[in-house]
Amino acid sequence: MFRPISVISRRSFQKNKGRNLVAAIAIVLTTLMFTTLFVLSQSMNKNIVEMTFRQTGYDAQASFQSITGEQADAVASHPEVKEVGNSLVAGLAQDKRISGRQVEIRWADESYAAHSFALPTVGRMPESPDEIALDTIVLDRLGVSHELGSQVTIGWIADFVSKEEVTSTFTLCGFWEGNESSYASMAWVGEDFAREAAFAGESNSEAIAGKRMAQVSLYSERDIAGTMDRILSDVGIDGLEYSVNLAYSPEMNRMAAQESLPMYAGMVLVFLAGYLIIYNIFQISVTADIQFYGKLKTLGMTKRQLKKLIYMQAGRLCLVGIPVGLLLGYVLGAVLVPVLISFQTGSVSANPVIFVGSALFAGLTVLVSCMRPAKLAGKVSPIEALRYNDAEESNRHRRKKRQGSASVPALAWSNLGRNRKRTVILVCSLTLGLVLMSCFYAKNVSFDMEKYLAGLTIADYQIDEATSEDYMAGYDPQGSTLDDRLVRLIESMDGLEETGHLYSHETEIALNSRTVENIQGFYAGERLNEWAAYDAAGVEAMRSAVENKKASSVIYGIDGIPLDVYGGETYWENGSFDEALFAAGGYVLAIGPGMETGIQKQAMPTVSVGDTVSIEGREYTVMAVLNNLQPVTEGAKENGAQDAFYLDFIMPAETFRECWPDNTLRKLYFNVGDDKMDEVQEKLDGYFAETGLTLSVTSRKSMEEQYERETRAGAVMGNAISVVIALVGVLNFINSMVTSIVSRKKEFAMMQSVGMTKSQLCKLLVFEGLDYTVLTLSVTYVLSALAVGVGVRAMVEGGFSTFRFTLLPLVLCTPILAGLAILVPYLCFRNLEKDSLTERLRSTD
Amino acid sequence: MEIIVKATGLKKYYGEGEALVKALDGVDLEIERGKFTAIVGTSGSGKSTLLNMLGGLDVPDEGSVRIGSQELSRLNAEQATIFRRKQIGFIFQNYNLVPVLTVWENIIFPISLDGRKPDRKFIMDIVKLLGLESKLDSFPNQLSGGQQQRAAIARALATKPSIILADEPTGNLDSGTSDDVVSLLKMSGSQFHQTIVMITHNPEIAARADRVIQIEDGRIAYVSANICD
Repeated sequence: MFRPISVISRRSFQKNKGRNLVAAIAIVLTTLMFTTLFVLSQSMNKNIVEMTFRQTGYDAQASFQSITGEQADAVASHPEVKEVGNSLVAGLAQDKRISGRQVEIRWADESYAAHSFALPTVGRMPESPDEIALDTIVLDRLGVSHELGSQVTIGWIADFVSKEEVTSTFTLCGFWEGNESSYASMAWVGEDFAREAAFAGESNSEAIAGKRMAQVSLYSERDIAGTMDRILSDVGIDGLEYSVNLAYSPEMNRMAAQESLPMYAGMVLVFLAGYLIIYNIFQISVTADIQFYGKLKTLGMTKRQLKKLIYMQAGRLCLVGIPVGLLLGYVLGAVLVPVLISFQTGSVSANPVIFVGSALFAGLTVLVSCMRPAKLAGKVSPIEALRYNDAEESNRHRRKKRQGSASVPALAWSNLGRNRKRTVILVCSLTLGLVLMSCFYAKNVSFDMEKYLAGLTIADYQIDEATSEDYMAGYDPQGSTLDDRLVRLIESMDGLEETGHLYSHETEIALNSRTVENIQGFYAGERLNEWAAYDAAGVEAMRSAVENKKASSVIYGIDGIPLDVYGGETYWENGSFDEALFAAGGYVLAIGPGMETGIQKQAMPTVSVGDTVSIEGREYTVMAVLNNLQPVTEGAKENGAQDAFYLDFIMPAETFRECWPDNTLRKLYFNVGDDKMDEVQEKLDGYFAETGLTLSVTSRKSMEEQYERETRAGAVMGNAISVVIALVGVLNFINSMVTSIVSRKKEFAMMQSVGMTKSQLCKLLVFEGLDYTVLTLSVTYVLSALAVGVGVRAMVEGGFSTFRFTLLPLVLCTPILAGLAILVPYLCFRNLEKDSLTERLRSTD
Repeated sequence: MEIIVKATGLKKYYGEGEALVKALDGVDLEIERGKFTAIVGTSGSGKSTLLNMLGGLDVPDEGSVRIGSQELSRLNAEQATIFRRKQIGFIFQNYNLVPVLTVWENIIFPISLDGRKPDRKFIMDIVKLLGLESKLDSFPNQLSGGQQQRAAIARALATKPSIILADEPTGNLDSGTSDDVVSLLKMSGSQFHQTIVMITHNPEIAARADRVIQIEDGRIAYVSANICD
């Protein structure tokens, strides 16, 4: 059976190779961008979910912190439960070599280990009491080689009250790759070993040893709390406390969706860029072939059949372009994922959604782009087609008012006006990419590292006592890791510019009525609701503090760098700071919550300036109220748990040492000359290697690097997309210019036959190209200046940025575009000249 | 005799003011079934416009065209296209063959567009009559002008139209070939009982028609009935 439309579609497709190549490249680029965006957003999603699993420590739906073996078995037998994993806690590792990392010593069944991402990949789970399985992080910290059968000696404690340390030696029977983002490492031991430890700890209710925990995997992820309640009541143990894995909360999905938001914006841009070029290509080719379509209509092809013909051509191009685009896009995405995802090792998602979605979006872009050209082809009148030329209809009725001069530049300019719609599309296409590029660049250079770092670190280096950030066991105010030896080592280094010290002590203070009022006034309305939504226990603690007029308090003793920084006005909320008066003692500074400065009108939720506070028997006057400064206040509380309401104070380090002479240094800050950075790092590394200590060192440099890792995502993404869009614009530009010259072959031959010289023709073409460029660049400069000056300025306001007006990418692109505008017409001219004048005059397409 | 084409008060103006061109300025015309009519006139006289209107390719500003019992103005563009490909065979001066289709595909093109199966035997009769048997698999650009025009004629006849409208079918052909083409048209017309309306500049060809209509300045200037046939 002869199918005329598909035969014509197929054969004319083969005929127009050059044109199809350009269209196919446009489709490939469009698909590539869609696929890359899809890969990135899907991988982002996947990694966020994985990261949350790691942080919560498991990927089952719910867990019990305390359950008996019988109860666990009962839950496991419920039909809605897929699997229950069991674990028995033996204790916590307590070892200098692994300080700062929580290592839980437990027995677990395979299910529990697997759902905790801690199933040995080499070897097996322990069976006998002298076996242990560990992750590589702990092995490395302990200095044990990754080999089954290695001897592992580890110090640990079974209960937190006596804190009695025990040292045991095990044989390594299995290990797996550790993950830094999980909250703790597991050390699996045999069941008998754990039982024995549990028995020993049973006498003490504060002991953690002997706690039996379980993780429940359900068949459905829907309404986990409801299902759990139903299960518990079915097996007759309602009320048993359980927690739902945070990773399954709707909040998580919302967060993941939010992370993908820039991707959606990117997709809109890609769609726009794809539309501008594909539409233009089809419009040009339909216009060029309009007589052909007119002929087909004369012969009886209907509007619908003509449209079908255009869509079939587009379909053919998609069949070639989309698979190539998918492939290239996936590869590009896979390369970009590790760059983009800083918080994880970054696995690349191969979700079929990526391919189906990208193909659909690319196909949709092509379809939408073809709609107008198809309509144009469909409504061709058989009579019109016979006298159709490249100009728009409406121009015919317009008359030139002035007697136009026939100079070459004037002719070139009027040629641009012959097809206004195409000129507009072309200018838009190029402008889109260039404006985007300018915006991304301006946004990136506006970032001010100093402003950003100011909130995070106040010194070149900050060294913390090992337990300072131990949120489980709590900070030990008499900890010995940040000892005199280390302090002397640092303070004797040459190139040292400044130092600072921080001590802390936890106590309880009484609240006067003014303070209570401040607290109640501050935590009210929306702010209170917001707080309650994510931290109900915190609100409860605040209420009980208000009721009992008593609050917990951390007293910080500081001198040097942190005090200098606090002396700056940025952190002042109320009162004024008199350095000499403060140093003399008798005064404290109160710390408010970390709020955006200057926004709130209410009093800070703490004591008022001028009040007297009694701290462990001594009276102090409140000199000022300050905003929270993270590098000072960050860290664990002494008991680890934080369900208490705190009002914190600052006093001079000297006064602090008088009050609590036994407390050791918690944080050491110091600045060194820029040229000494490497030397300092070397010294610290040497010290840690020698002592086997691992203290947290925060350096300005590492923060800078961390920032760059975290924000590379946006930067790379933005730049990549805007560059590809600009490329698409350039492709569009070249294609339009080439086709507009080729389609006027005969017209040029005619002009030459009546006396236009070769050099005049060449000049005409170059002028046309330059006119396009001048037009595009003027529009681009104006729009970019507006977008950068208004849009980017507003966007970076308030962030860690100092706005700087720049159009550097445009300035760099200007000569490139100008070069293209000259080169492309020139090459086309050379190509025209290959055929003789008479040949061209006689040619009938 | 039965009237198959009836045009009444056809008018078509282009432009306005000084540039106003009256392509057709009130043409009334009746054409009998089975007759061979020649339209003559100087270039720009409006003959092509008239022919296009008779075939529904163009729409008059005023007046109406009836083909058989169908009033063309009652049809929308889509219906007009379908009516045209079923009822009217067009032959153009520049042949209008689709370059990417073979001769055979060109001949059955309008039928296939209609979703119908070509009447193979009937079409092969035409092909033989026109001497195109050996050229069926060739593409138009491999044929001479005369061969191309014969292919176009075969295409016009293949749909078994009641009317054939030909716009200077011999305009691009030498005199020998022209004679052949006209003979073929006449022959097929009488064989398949078709009405033929043909524009020509050639007085010899016009002389072979049953009737000659002369158009000048958008009006019928003269009608003559030839008696030689």
